[in-house]
Amino acid sequence: MPHLRLVASVALLALLLAACSSSAPAPTAAPAKPAETKPAETKPAASPATAASPAAAASPASSPAAAASPAASPAASPAASPVAATKRLRVGLVTDVGKIDDKSFNQSAWEGVQRAQRELGAETKFLETTDPKDYAKNIDQFAQDNYDIIVTVGFAIGQATQEAALKYKNVRFIGVDQFQEKATENVTGLIFDEDKAGYLAGALAGLLTQSGTIGAVLGTDLVPPVVKFGKGYEAGAKSVKPDIKVLMAYHPGGLARGFTDPDWGKATTTQMIQQQADVIFGAGGNTGNGALLGALERNTLAIGVDTDQWETLPQVRPVLVSSAMKLITPGVFDLIKASGEGTVRGGNVTGLVGLAPFHDNDSKVPPAAKERLQQIDAGLKNGSIRTGVTLP
Amino acid sequence: MERPSLAQTLLVQALAALTGLAAGAILIWLTGGDPILAYGGLWEGSLGRPASISETLVWSTPYILAGLAVGLAFRGGLFNIGAEGQLSVGALTAAWVGFSVQGVPWPAHLLLALAAGALAGAALAGLAGWLKARTGAHEVITTIMLNYIALLGTGYLLSGLLKDPSPFVVVAQTPKVLESARIPALFSDLRVHWGLLLALLLAVGCWWLLFRSTLGFAIRTVGLNPSAARYAGISIAGTVVLTMALSGTLAGLAGAIEVLGVNYYHTPGFSVGYGFDSIAVALLGKSHPLGVIPAALLFGALRAGATRMQFVSQIPIDVISVVQGIILLLVAADDLVRRFYRIGGRPAAVSAERAAEGTVARTWGRAD
Repeated sequence: MPHLRLVASVALLALLLAACSSSAPAPTAAPAKPAETKPAETKPAASPATAASPAAAASPASSPAAAASPAASPAASPAASPVAATKRLRVGLVTDVGKIDDKSFNQSAWEGVQRAQRELGAETKFLETTDPKDYAKNIDQFAQDNYDIIVTVGFAIGQATQEAALKYKNVRFIGVDQFQEKATENVTGLIFDEDKAGYLAGALAGLLTQSGTIGAVLGTDLVPPVVKFGKGYEAGAKSVKPDIKVLMAYHPGGLARGFTDPDWGKATTTQMIQQQADVIFGAGGNTGNGALLGALERNTLAIGVDTDQWETLPQVRPVLVSSAMKLITPGVFDLIKASGEGTVRGGNVTGLVGLAPFHDNDSKVPPAAKERLQQIDAGLKNGSIRTGVTLP
Repeated sequence: MERPSLAQTLLVQALAALTGLAAGAILIWLTGGDPILAYGGLWEGSLGRPASISETLVWSTPYILAGLAVGLAFRGGLFNIGAEGQLSVGALTAAWVGFSVQGVPWPAHLLLALAAGALAGAALAGLAGWLKARTGAHEVITTIMLNYIALLGTGYLLSGLLKDPSPFVVVAQTPKVLESARIPALFSDLRVHWGLLLALLLAVGCWWLLFRSTLGFAIRTVGLNPSAARYAGISIAGTVVLTMALSGTLAGLAGAIEVLGVNYYHTPGFSVGYGFDSIAVALLGKSHPLGVIPAALLFGALRAGATRMQFVSQIPIDVISVVQGIILLLVAADDLVRRFYRIGGRPAAVSAERAAEGTVARTWGRAD
């Protein structure tokens, strides 16, 4: 019966179409990714600009690579990458469990790698990890194909990175946000000065407050980076407004609850707002996100943390004025560049921090404040301003 | 009713899988990729080298166990959507026993951890079974809801009570399980471990249970025809609870062997999707314990090869999910395959073996 077969063919086609349309986001994203490294195709359009050029404050775009360059390679920049000139640098990136376009650490790191493709002519490729058990396997793909540099993103992939580094001694590993307890020669952890990021957030809050009281809602003080955010915030606020009142609350729940308690973050924010705080800095995973949501409820200005939370927590956009960001894109690029020049050592390298763009809340920041923030940012970068934060 | 021959069933399932792969190739081609390059990578990453074969087996092991879990429930007329949640509580419990119980030597510690994982899965699925037997609450609904409770509860414990207390660990994950609770690898330098043999053994065990034991007869009878089962004096309520608990045991073990044999810790990202993929594995395997094995190997190969495919062709790894989805569709609607390839002269009505499986449609009735 031929008509039956016809019906079946049509039905199969329909199935196929259904499958195609349901999977639309994934395949359509493919051409945008640099398949087979065609540098001309990778339009710089939105990619590095979003992360790397905050409206006013920290603008790594304008800061030369030398300033951004990690401490480990002070003399690196002038030498015009002899290695890259002779041999094409091959750079691979392995994501944390998460997508390459996560608007967070994975994407920022990949934008740094893409910049290396454009500016250094590097051959680049990424692998998305879907299951933690594939971390090692994904790293192996690059290592066994003789890649020069492998960037791994996020704390969770840190251990697999360490193990791979021992196995593949000729490969340079860059671990984004992976603090190195002890230095391994071919692993460089890209870490960040949280106190400087906090300082910028504090200065912004100090310049914006009408009431003279601001708040910070933080994760547990058992984790040093959180304390650095908090103390930096306080110092930054006092630097622009010495008599400012800074309400600070660390989550009392320790490591167990410190970063996963949005309700506490929200409740604490409400209390601070009742005590006249009119700018809130939320830093501490979901607890910090809770603070931003609390600020949204009371229509109070808020400052996010780590990445541009305009992108990662869109519901708080109405009140989110900026975020204290770790600038992963330039950090990764500089490390790749320095690696190509052979001037990077194992251990930790500190990347730049900065404020995220003000986006739609740009009008809420007066021009004078923007100028002041730029000065502070420059001062923090060139060392003329110190946060004064020391950990006991 | 005439039952299709084994050869014909195998042929239809194989054609469904091949058609799924062909559709995937068309999809890759339509989105501007090179299907030959992509599938070359898929082959190389799944079967092309000894290490690849090992990775395929590593991925297949939980698929076998979870596929058995779903298949066993199918045979009992129950649709266990909750394998995902049962897997995660099994993994968490095994990890907890693995790192917190001190001073028990291998292999006693390992067995303890495996048993704990199995028990956790059994308890969760058994709860859904009990709700069905006791109140008539449909197991599709309860297992879906219990998935949320299990996954979010696991996440809560992972970022709280059971989190690695080291200050250098900033993400939610358990400490590593002790050496005494780990499943050893089959070969040095390869990750495939003894859990694979356990899974194969359990597949044979499930076959024996279903087709050679009194309990299996009761399970299948309840699945086929609850009224007849009651008439024969089989306790429907007891059988439903037991079937779900057995199903949960297998799913819990799937989680446990992942922790004890591959990862050595548990974290929220791990095990995502196995529980749902296993429904497809069970259907592709015709809910037969021995049929689940090749189905799991196919899905394991797809997953293991996906990395290499992505590496050589930069095709998004999501394509593999689409291929799996198409295979599932074709398996569920196998008349499409039969007609397209002109197999079997039976009319398009409900096929005999589908009626025999007594799966999806009828389980919406009460199992009273």
